[in-house]
Amino acid sequence: MSYRSKSRSLLVGLMFLLPNILGFLAFILVPLVLSFVLSFTDWDVLRHNIFSDDPLRFTGLDNFVRLFTHPEFWQYLGNTFFMMLGLPFAIAGSLCAALLLTRASKKRHQVKPALIIATIIMVVCGLGLLSGGMPEHQVWLFFGILAAMTLVAGVMTGGVVYRTLFYLPNFTAGVATFVLWKKMYNPNTGPVNQAVAPVLDGFSAWVNSMPGLFAYGLPILAGIFAIGIAWWQVRRLRIAWDLSEAGIVSIIAGIISLLVPLGLCLTWFGVGPIIALLVAATCFLAIYLWLVNRPQPWGKPKTKDKGLGTEVALAMVLIPVLLAVAASLVVGPTLPAAAVTGIEAPDWLGNYYWAKPALMIMGLWAAIGSNNMVLYLAGLSNISPELYEAADMDGATSSQRFWHITWPQLAPVTFFIAIMSVIGGLQGGFEMARVMTQGGPAGSTTTLGYFIFIEGFETGRLGYASAVAWVLFALVFGLSVFNFRYGNRHVAD
Amino acid sequence: MKSVFLGIIIALVASSSLLYWTQPDRDSPIPVLYWITQDDEVKRETIVLFKEWLAEKNLPQVDIKIDNTNQGVMKKLTQGLAGVGSDIMDVYGNEIELFGSSGMLMDVTETAKELGFSPDATYPALRSDVLHEGKQYGFPRNAAAAMYWINKDTFARYGIEEPPHRWTWDEFERIGKQFVAAANPPGTRDRIYFMKPASSAVTMQEFRRGMGLSAYNETMTECILDDPRSVEVYRRVYRWVIELQLIPTIADASAMTADSAIPGGATFHLFAVGRYAMLNLPRWALIRLRPLGKLPLRVIEPPNTGFSNIVFGCGLISAYTNTKYPEETARFMQFLTSESFNLLVARSGDSLPPVPKYTQSEEFLRPPEHPEEWQAGEVFSSAAPEIGIPTSRSPFVQTTVFVRIESQVQQSLLAGRLTPEEAAKTQADRTNKEILITLTEDPKKKVLYAELQEVQKKIDELKAANLPIPREWITNPFHLRYYEHKGMLTEEDAS
Repeated sequence: MSYRSKSRSLLVGLMFLLPNILGFLAFILVPLVLSFVLSFTDWDVLRHNIFSDDPLRFTGLDNFVRLFTHPEFWQYLGNTFFMMLGLPFAIAGSLCAALLLTRASKKRHQVKPALIIATIIMVVCGLGLLSGGMPEHQVWLFFGILAAMTLVAGVMTGGVVYRTLFYLPNFTAGVATFVLWKKMYNPNTGPVNQAVAPVLDGFSAWVNSMPGLFAYGLPILAGIFAIGIAWWQVRRLRIAWDLSEAGIVSIIAGIISLLVPLGLCLTWFGVGPIIALLVAATCFLAIYLWLVNRPQPWGKPKTKDKGLGTEVALAMVLIPVLLAVAASLVVGPTLPAAAVTGIEAPDWLGNYYWAKPALMIMGLWAAIGSNNMVLYLAGLSNISPELYEAADMDGATSSQRFWHITWPQLAPVTFFIAIMSVIGGLQGGFEMARVMTQGGPAGSTTTLGYFIFIEGFETGRLGYASAVAWVLFALVFGLSVFNFRYGNRHVAD
Repeated sequence: MKSVFLGIIIALVASSSLLYWTQPDRDSPIPVLYWITQDDEVKRETIVLFKEWLAEKNLPQVDIKIDNTNQGVMKKLTQGLAGVGSDIMDVYGNEIELFGSSGMLMDVTETAKELGFSPDATYPALRSDVLHEGKQYGFPRNAAAAMYWINKDTFARYGIEEPPHRWTWDEFERIGKQFVAAANPPGTRDRIYFMKPASSAVTMQEFRRGMGLSAYNETMTECILDDPRSVEVYRRVYRWVIELQLIPTIADASAMTADSAIPGGATFHLFAVGRYAMLNLPRWALIRLRPLGKLPLRVIEPPNTGFSNIVFGCGLISAYTNTKYPEETARFMQFLTSESFNLLVARSGDSLPPVPKYTQSEEFLRPPEHPEEWQAGEVFSSAAPEIGIPTSRSPFVQTTVFVRIESQVQQSLLAGRLTPEEAAKTQADRTNKEILITLTEDPKKKVLYAELQEVQKKIDELKAANLPIPREWITNPFHLRYYEHKGMLTEEDAS
């Protein structure tokens, strides 16, 4: 090919790429660089615009200093991290959905039993609705019929209907979904409370019949459970330390995952934050010193952060579980008094304490059937059947097959999903909160993404909003680097 | 592939050209103005009347097209700052600060004097709403003051006495308790409330002012809400919303609106059917209430603890500073002072006409087709000029920011996360922090602040000595009215 013809080809190629390159420059690279520069200025749209000659002032790190001393920033950062506590459950949900769908498509011979079960459910629910005159509080019977119909359709189509239904939230426009969920959460007429109300009525009657069980039994049970989890975690850390499978940093992370819920629980009981911190610090020191003073017969681990990825992943599950246990400790003694007048279904979006969980439940619903599930489905179909056959020949149980074949084989997929979920979790939450709660009540659902919108587009401080955006970027980047460093990226890991 | 690529480019260029050449105002022989407002019957009639008015005055004809898709504050601001703002736009309450400060609104101070639509043509109390930093950026399309609307049927249904025209907080609480007890017997599923507020910002401002307290000091250089009177207001709000449930929370109200079968007008429907005994809204509520039938209505003042007041504000018509038709937009503002426009406002059930004398017209006071509204007309025409005070807006903190802080603090109080004392302190601290940020960022405001601080010191000295304060020292519209009421103002400059 001559020089002339090469140049011509290059030019044609560039012409094809030009729209994309221009789009990238205009809408990504230039705004990105500009926003970085702006984060060090006092750009306020009311003072710096085409109608004003006020010069833009370089303010150094002022925006960042103000940000870190802004109490709302910490509240919104806390909200963002709190909402991210749902991520491990969302990932686990996607995996479960993918596993169920894989099984459904394989087991076509189960049509008859499914039809029988569905018929029974439909008849029972139908009779229930007819006998009760279809009152609102029996909406769960209607859900039962829907579930039975789904079961039949799914089994008859070899799982195709299930896949479509699970993936449906991804087809629907976000705002439409949020409006729908807002209606579902309506405290008076929403189907969620219509379904929950009879359950709570029954539960109230149960509490009223045995108030002592709930006032004392539930907290005692929760306490025992919490101690059990703590004992299990400390024992696990001890074994890991003894076998040199965990470095000092991992041990610290493992202990902290126990003490964060402890500190929070103490504050819920009215203990001051300083005392709570002191108690947590004392416990930390006691466990830490006991662990690190133990002999390590296999020598010291290669790195101080060995096993950190496992500890952090485990912490993301342990912390919400322990917080739920701590909540039972707090709520248990108040239940008998509440049950006297009947425990009311929550005001999901209007109550400060329920608004975040309400959004998380909706997020979980959307995440289970999302792209994560499709990725897991693809990952599952790539696992070699020979591995399962070999396991069967060795007499492995279903659980062993999962933990020793499926889970390790899916490691690269899980790693990718974890990275994308963490990024999405940190950046997300804006649309959902904007439509459903306007960031309230009292800022309880305002995330960092929403904060950027408030400062940038409601208050007009674009310089400050850029600083928040870059702090958010630093968080995303830091967590992604952490994931790359400590996450299990390879099947052999 | 190359021909496909070329084809797409040609198609795009051709479509763009077609769009450009077929713009609606390209073929129009007269100027076409775009007006950002609600697209409703009244606005369409306004345009017709404007054209007739132009013809009567032998002025060149103008066409106006309504743009109802860009009414959001941020849309107006973004378009304006991008250089593509609409020629005329509705500007409400706090928007004047945003748009005025940004420079996107046309300064009509001189033109208004020339054409007769200066602030003198409207209510004296609205001066601070019409002027921003001494410049006039528009003229009111209407003037609004929220009063309490009573559905007499609802009170009669439960055998509860109707509140008097002027009443106290204690009376509000007493009648409210009786009402909710009678309207919500045990087992009631859908609660019936005593009152639905216009907005928490309006209610809080009125309650505070009733106790002689404003959010800001006399020169609006400091938020002074860390005050026992503010604590008392928060205590009452908590009691009425959470303990006695006389007023719904935002979430309750939102849920009730979602339950109603009438989107958009749900609050009015709920009022008509008796789910709310009272609504706190301006006269424009009639536009929504009239289609619901002839309701037995009565209008009264909000409850107070000594100093009767209502928040008085306006919706302005402003022009974009880069409009191609500055003369025509000014004519439109001049038209707002005309008899035909003011009588349209009175007739349509909108808020008060921008020119005060038309509140005494038959169309406003006694619309022949609506005798059930005659009492309301009387009350609105007298209350707004007598006890109406505009919102106090500090030049050092955006009112939208202040309202956001207040809303968050109030929600935290209602969620039990702040005590009334903490709520009052938090609101003052956070607002004062915003003032400090403004001073750090804006050197011009810093100079103004220093000047006003000097004045404030002198005011504080006079207050301490129990001496009258010169009127011109005070910028806070509340203090002007309150001190006048208390006889604490003097026309002389003591300095």
